[in-house]
Amino acid sequence: MTREFAVPPVVFPSGGNPATGNLQQRRVPTAPFQPPRPSSSSIPFMSFDIGPATSTSTLYGGPIGTGGGPSGSANFDDEEPLLDELGIHPEQIWKKTKSILNPFRVNPAVHKDSDLSGPIILYLSLCLFQLLAGKIQFGVILGWIVVSSMFLYVVFNMLAGRNGKLNLHACTSVVGYCMLPVVILSAAMLFLPQASVVRFVIAGVFVLWATRASTALMVALAEGEEEHRGLVAYACFLIYTLFSLLVIF
Amino acid sequence: MYENPRMQPGAPRPLTQSQPNPFEGAFYGAGSGLIRGDLGTYGEKFLGSSSEYVQSNISRYFSDPQYYFQVNDQYVRNKLKVVLFPFLHRCHWTRITEPVGGRLSYRPPIYDINAPDLYIPFMAFGTYVILAGLLLGLQGRFSPDAVQWLFVKGLLGWSLQVMLLKVTLLSLGGVEPPLLDIVAYAGYTFAGLCLAIMGKIILSYMYFVMMPLACLCMGIFLVKTMKRVLSAEVRSYDSSRLHYLLLFIAFAQFPLFSWLGNISLNWLF
Repeated sequence: MTREFAVPPVVFPSGGNPATGNLQQRRVPTAPFQPPRPSSSSIPFMSFDIGPATSTSTLYGGPIGTGGGPSGSANFDDEEPLLDELGIHPEQIWKKTKSILNPFRVNPAVHKDSDLSGPIILYLSLCLFQLLAGKIQFGVILGWIVVSSMFLYVVFNMLAGRNGKLNLHACTSVVGYCMLPVVILSAAMLFLPQASVVRFVIAGVFVLWATRASTALMVALAEGEEEHRGLVAYACFLIYTLFSLLVIF
Repeated sequence: MYENPRMQPGAPRPLTQSQPNPFEGAFYGAGSGLIRGDLGTYGEKFLGSSSEYVQSNISRYFSDPQYYFQVNDQYVRNKLKVVLFPFLHRCHWTRITEPVGGRLSYRPPIYDINAPDLYIPFMAFGTYVILAGLLLGLQGRFSPDAVQWLFVKGLLGWSLQVMLLKVTLLSLGGVEPPLLDIVAYAGYTFAGLCLAIMGKIILSYMYFVMMPLACLCMGIFLVKTMKRVLSAEVRSYDSSRLHYLLLFIAFAQFPLFSWLGNISLNWLF
């Protein structure tokens, strides 16, 4: 089944003057070129018609144009912003990170709903500083964060006993956010001499800072764990010492 | 007594439960949210068809792990003193029992200094890995792979110790304590080992003093504990065989400690 396409006329600008008979045999469409359209088309057809002969198409195109056009742009406008859809709230991340900066007065209220995007940002910055120090440890740090948060999750829930309601997401969130001191440590290590006692002393200070912050958060997130504070603190201390080993050596 | 060493402080739970959730019955997850919440749902999905088999076998081999984490600061401090300096522990070494639900079961670690716990072994193992990594770093041989290898080596050493204790207890017959008890006793070796490695970090010659001391102390601790474990079951056994096996346990600590204490990147020495 062959379809007949309307072929636009070929007009040569100069010279060759084709036989005038041919010209009259061809169909001369109006300008701009438009394919012939059946007047009763069941398929709505959105088109931007300029010619007056296409009044039927505007009947179709008009409502569809008004319906489809603004609704198309409204669909795009109605969409959530990308960060909200992904669940990343920058101002919340910033607030949580700022709360870790003061180890003596940790505010557990901001950490009530856990999220993993802040820890991912901190993980990437730690890897970046390690990269600046010449160590490519992306996989190692990620694996160690996963293993250590699982370790802390098991130990904390077992110690808590009946009250053990900390879930793995919140645990990983706490471990990740309290990596902030380790990130700052890795930045500071870039400027310290390689084999000196100062490295160990400063690392010790930062590890204690991270331990204190994470213990305060863990104890505050699971109510009624005050009696096991020292035990949880030692577990957190082990975790952050492990990461500081990566940074120092 | 060893069939059911679970202790349920607080509201007593029925020991035989016909529950729709097989894992809830198997683990008696009295609050260990890990097991009841997360593993329970997954376990039901994977093992729901063979729940009877799973329930019977797991409860036979794997007592409630939450019992071993009922600790507090004071218990940890005192237990560390007992493990590191067992010759100073003048009191008796028997575990206190109390009747619960018609059966005798052991009191949890908070109330009984002689009860095994799993918190100290886990923390001592972590401390061992970190101290060994620190030592490697001070010698300039640190790398993340080395730490991972040390972790595996430590686990191997732990399981070797568990096998040693289990074989000894098996060969003497009788009812053995639950597996987690033996895992806990074996894990106490890492406490003495950490002290020895700390000595190695401070002064490399101190290691050759601290290591035999740690071996000796661990040997004494294990001998006294195993003796109590075995004499809890009054059976007619060969007394000389018992003494030889206990001596074997004590002497086997020396190669084990020297293998674990030799921090290097090779698998043997």
